[in-house]
Amino acid sequence: MTKLHPASVPVRSLSRSLSTGTLFFFLGVVASPGGPGNVLVIGSMVLFGIVVGVAYELAYYQRFEYELTADTFDVASGVLSRRAREVPLRRVQNVDVRQNVVQRALGIAAVHVETAGGGQTEVTLRYVDEAEARRLRRRLREGASEEREERPEAERERADAGEPEDLLFAIRPDELAILSVFTIDPGASILGGIALSFASGFDPATFVPVDGLESDLPGSGLIAIGWALLLFLLAAWVLSAALTFNRYYGFRLTRVGDELHYERGLLQRYSGTIPLEKVQTLTIKESVPARWFGYGSLAVETAGYAPGQSGSRGAESAIPLAERGRVDALARSIEPFGSTDLERPPSRARERYAVRYVAALCAIVAVGYVLATYTAVVEDWYAVAAFLILVPPAAHLKWHSRGYRAGERYFLTRTGFWRRTTKVVPYYRVQTAVYHQTIFQRRRRLASVTADTASSASFFGRPATAIDVDTDRALELQQLLADRLQERLQIRRRRSIDGWFDDEVDDSSTGGSTSGPT
Amino acid sequence: MERLDPRIRLLWVVAALVRTAVFGGVVVGAAFYLQTTTLLADFHSLLLWGAVALAIVLVVGRTVVAWLRYRVWRFEVQDDTLYIERGVFTRIKTVVPFVRVQHVDSRRSPLERAVGLATVVVYTAGSRSADVAIPGLTPTRAEDLREQLRRLAIESGGEDAV
Repeated sequence: MTKLHPASVPVRSLSRSLSTGTLFFFLGVVASPGGPGNVLVIGSMVLFGIVVGVAYELAYYQRFEYELTADTFDVASGVLSRRAREVPLRRVQNVDVRQNVVQRALGIAAVHVETAGGGQTEVTLRYVDEAEARRLRRRLREGASEEREERPEAERERADAGEPEDLLFAIRPDELAILSVFTIDPGASILGGIALSFASGFDPATFVPVDGLESDLPGSGLIAIGWALLLFLLAAWVLSAALTFNRYYGFRLTRVGDELHYERGLLQRYSGTIPLEKVQTLTIKESVPARWFGYGSLAVETAGYAPGQSGSRGAESAIPLAERGRVDALARSIEPFGSTDLERPPSRARERYAVRYVAALCAIVAVGYVLATYTAVVEDWYAVAAFLILVPPAAHLKWHSRGYRAGERYFLTRTGFWRRTTKVVPYYRVQTAVYHQTIFQRRRRLASVTADTASSASFFGRPATAIDVDTDRALELQQLLADRLQERLQIRRRRSIDGWFDDEVDDSSTGGSTSGPT
Repeated sequence: MERLDPRIRLLWVVAALVRTAVFGGVVVGAAFYLQTTTLLADFHSLLLWGAVALAIVLVVGRTVVAWLRYRVWRFEVQDDTLYIERGVFTRIKTVVPFVRVQHVDSRRSPLERAVGLATVVVYTAGSRSADVAIPGLTPTRAEDLREQLRRLAIESGGEDAV
């Protein structure tokens, strides 16, 4: 059994004693005799809290042990309540290594091990030596891919020492700049708002250049609000750009054997693996401003994580942003999905979108009319009707950006004008094939077909769906998905039996599936 | 194609009635409460009758939907897949390959026990796993179906299912 790195005691103690210290500070304030403010009592309480925190972490270090056996990863931990956990190596999906500035200086790193299912990280090692983290990541992933028997010991040694990595992608300065400028970080807007309200002393008027304005001008209140809003947006944007810059600084994607390995981050360095043999879905996203400049992003979805889970945001993105050609090349090297000539929905789908937009506009106008009749807030209720001009182009663009392709080995779907999302699903990853038809689609003999996979990203994003396909074609497509799944599975099974003479047939044993022959 | 037990309509109608009763009770109650205040005094009787009418429409509508739902619901155990058709407003046809079945449950809620029915739930690793439930089966049929699906899932190959 191995222990954690000794330096993890002070590092963990620092954050732990901060929280216990704060806790005892408040306890001291509440409980101090002679009213609040008894500095001596509070001080000793805080000290006690810190001592407790340090003692706890020391005990944690003493009682935390892990071991990598031939086919499991065992962890025994817990100070008061003990927990022994065995993770079968074959079930390991992702292994992440994280380091922030302090940890990098000390040469230690946190290792997170994920398996499919379960909302949480299965094993967290905080902290181990950098080299040990690298070794663990490689061994764990090797165990997961079951190829360790095949590999000679010498090669493994070399792998531990730093196998020749195949650099697939490194973010370029222009790409990082575009990414930072156009990414809107949801956290940043809140932070920006908070920062701004502190800076202004909770009075947005302080930011308004009152000298330049006639303060008795009618509507100066509105101008003040407008100014505050503008400043708020600006602050949120700058902050968001800074956060994104920090997150993706120095993004590198390398391929080592059967897995992708990424590194990113300026202040806190993240690195992790994406096992290629467990890829469920590829998602190519091209949002509007970036698309106009010819940029796109690529996400690789595996069954391991829920992206957006604390701290692992963006962990699945293989490329945060790059030139379209580079994105395409990398996506094809992971899953050679061939042509992307998509079949468009029938043109009656376009009418459907137009009708939908007109209906929405009519509803807005009607609400405006009611408001104009009964209140004085709205006057020109018919102004919104001018947007009717935009309906035909909008409907056309929506129609134009949708499509699907049932290829030889892959099912491709695309939708979205503002955020054009192309999904690539290998047939053998399909879990269920769902045909659905709303009451509006039925009128126009249209239907949607979803190829559902085990990708954890689908909990948040939408699974690959061919929207508004002709009804008959949709039924065919659904059948095709089910048939191709059986076909591909049989091929894979045969190949794995021929290849390994192994009774135990497993998806993962066909390691070459991602690049294997058709 | 196999259809559900007709008694499921009773169950769905009862469930719909309970829900509508709660919702209608709140709406009509609110309308009654308004009458004790002076707020919107001109519309009191109109609001009350509107609330009652809404409740009635909901009761009738949901009963009709329950009836229609029974007429649409179908399922079939095919060679490699379980096929399900359902949905009154949005028609949904689901294909679940046996290879992908993780586990199969049969379960009976108190209401189902009262009517003598059971539900079979098929789980996959997909993101819509909870969607695949077959209600309105007799308990013996549910047991049989669960057993059959379990056997088919195992026979279809000891895959990783992911």
